[in-house]
Amino acid sequence: MMGSKDADPSLGYLTRKDTEVKLPRPTRVKNKTPAPIQITAEQILREARERQEAEIRPPKQKITDSTELADYRLRKRKEFEDLIRRVRWNTGVWIKYAKWEESQKDFNRARSVWERALEVDYRNHTLWLKYAEVEMKNKFINHARNVWDRAVTLLPRVDQLWYKYIHMEEMLGNVAGARQIFERWMHWMPDQQGWLSYIKFELRYNEVERARQIYERFVQCHPKVSTWIKYAKFEMKMGEVDRARNVYERAVEKLADDEEAEQLFVAFAEFEERCKETERARCIYKFALDHIPKGRAEDLYRKFVAFEKQYGDREGIEDAIVGKRRFQYEDEVRKNPMNYDIWFDYIRLEESVGNKERAREVYERAIANVPPAEEKRYWQRYIYLWINYALYEELDAGDMERTRDVYQ
Amino acid sequence: MEERRVHPDCINASNPYHECVDYCFRKIAEAKVRMVEDEREAVQASGSSGQSNTLASDVAEDLHHENPKLEAGSDSDNDKPAEEDVEGDFTKLTGRQKKLFELRLKMNEARKANQTAMVAEKKRMEPPQESRGISKQKWLEERKRKIGKLLDANGLDMTKAFMLDTQEAAEAKYKKWEKDPAPFGWDVFNQKALYDAYKKRTKNVEVDLEEYNKMKEADPEFYRDASSLQYGKSPKISEDKIDRMVKELKDREEKRNSFSRRRRFHEEKDIDSINDRNEHFNKKIERAFGKYTLEIKNNLERGTALPD
Repeated sequence: MMGSKDADPSLGYLTRKDTEVKLPRPTRVKNKTPAPIQITAEQILREARERQEAEIRPPKQKITDSTELADYRLRKRKEFEDLIRRVRWNTGVWIKYAKWEESQKDFNRARSVWERALEVDYRNHTLWLKYAEVEMKNKFINHARNVWDRAVTLLPRVDQLWYKYIHMEEMLGNVAGARQIFERWMHWMPDQQGWLSYIKFELRYNEVERARQIYERFVQCHPKVSTWIKYAKFEMKMGEVDRARNVYERAVEKLADDEEAEQLFVAFAEFEERCKETERARCIYKFALDHIPKGRAEDLYRKFVAFEKQYGDREGIEDAIVGKRRFQYEDEVRKNPMNYDIWFDYIRLEESVGNKERAREVYERAIANVPPAEEKRYWQRYIYLWINYALYEELDAGDMERTRDVYQ
Repeated sequence: MEERRVHPDCINASNPYHECVDYCFRKIAEAKVRMVEDEREAVQASGSSGQSNTLASDVAEDLHHENPKLEAGSDSDNDKPAEEDVEGDFTKLTGRQKKLFELRLKMNEARKANQTAMVAEKKRMEPPQESRGISKQKWLEERKRKIGKLLDANGLDMTKAFMLDTQEAAEAKYKKWEKDPAPFGWDVFNQKALYDAYKKRTKNVEVDLEEYNKMKEADPEFYRDASSLQYGKSPKISEDKIDRMVKELKDREEKRNSFSRRRRFHEEKDIDSINDRNEHFNKKIERAFGKYTLEIKNNLERGTALPD
């Protein structure tokens, strides 16, 4: 059994006996029924809340002379250093320390803090951003340049760093420098927005030829339909219709089988319409419709019909509309070949067009779909098909031989 | 092609299906009479008013009197459709009149050349505004004018400009009004948002073309490649540029402070914390687990679980 006086050194001069908690002796519980008024959890919480004491804050002290200032700084520095010793990975703490040093106008110390923070985690782009911003705000331009250069070398895929670096150079009026940085960035082949910001930059200074060159590189780097369309639209805005057409043609050559070729064709056709070249537009639409599998050509069809309504003659319009309906029917008959109503409509359409070959073809296909069950109504419609076919051959084609064939 | 009986002076001559009849000939004769009368008036009028419709102002004084005569003469000559009268014109021009004619030709040419030079110079002076193709302002003004005209034609006011839209155009406009959901949470600083922010900042850049051109002349390596050794070197930057940059940074910082808005304090909500820290913690945990524990909470509130 421990001696109650000397065993526990942490208690100091008090003995164990004195520090024991003296509870009342537990007596036997007599009444086990619940009390009439029960306390609720909310009540407890509210009471706890109300009984909160105000936060204890150290008193505000005014610093009167340099020794006090030095003391204050020492104290703060010690606090900060302790903090970062405790949580080295917490960038927030480092940033607070560095910002405090900046507010004390001690830039060398601030810089050293920033560098130490970067040592901990150089991959954190916010650190770089804040560091460079501090240098910029205090007008240390060359220091800022150094910081930006290092940031951009270490983290070339973080676009924000590039944007801000270039913006700084541009705000300072160092356009050639900004251009060099842009070039450096383009070597990394950034995404579309990077390229577009470069082009906008050149256009701000009216360097149209350079903008054009950059567009060329851009479409090489991102050979997608949207980039080609942007390029062509740019040429249109400059008023260079021939170049725009050239761009579209090259795009079509390269991307005719692309997933989004539809958009390209639509844009191209719209461009031709705007140049009032209806023949070319029509050719484009036709080519596009041939090229693109029916599944993705919805938008194209709609635009084509609209275009024909505007410019085409009656036959053109009919052709386009018929093409569209035909496509719809194909879809439907593929889905339910037993649905004779659709077959009938389809046949009627073909007949109205007057294209004998197609009508015959459709009839043959319709007839090939022999009804599965021995049910009367299926067969009824089937027979109707046959009869219609025969009549058609007899009346329209006037070809007796074929009619006889059919009757067989 | 068969010959049509159309008199070249007939007012319906341009109509390919027209054939002149008696009525037409009568009309032609009347018209001719009227024209002769008009000429006589014109001669008197131009004789008195001097050179109201002559050319550049540096015509010599002695040509004053001869101009009206010549004009009247040439007018009446040109009215006659027959070819021989033009040659007659030339024979009439003797010595001095011939010189006058040549001078007039030269003045015409000079005037044209002046005009084109003026236009070209104007164009040259203007480029900064129209550099990016069709300027947006001009295009907007044009549109406004067109819409204004249409509205007047229909008796509408400018405020009712939307009445001119077709159904499709109206639908497209409604579509624009539907905003796509703004990114929230961890997605706030996505690539698109950063790019847009940069674009907004570039609006602050004041493009000083003169200074730009000056710098262009001064620097032989103006269009640098990425690997140029001029990296990091820059021309002496004036104080006001630096100040401008600092000011922009300060503006950005202010904007940043108002980035997160303060949320409303719901007083009616039940207190489930003993502390401010506790409250904060409860808020976060509610965010994460709220939807899963809702049922349990309700059961506890009620006192009994529901038989489900």
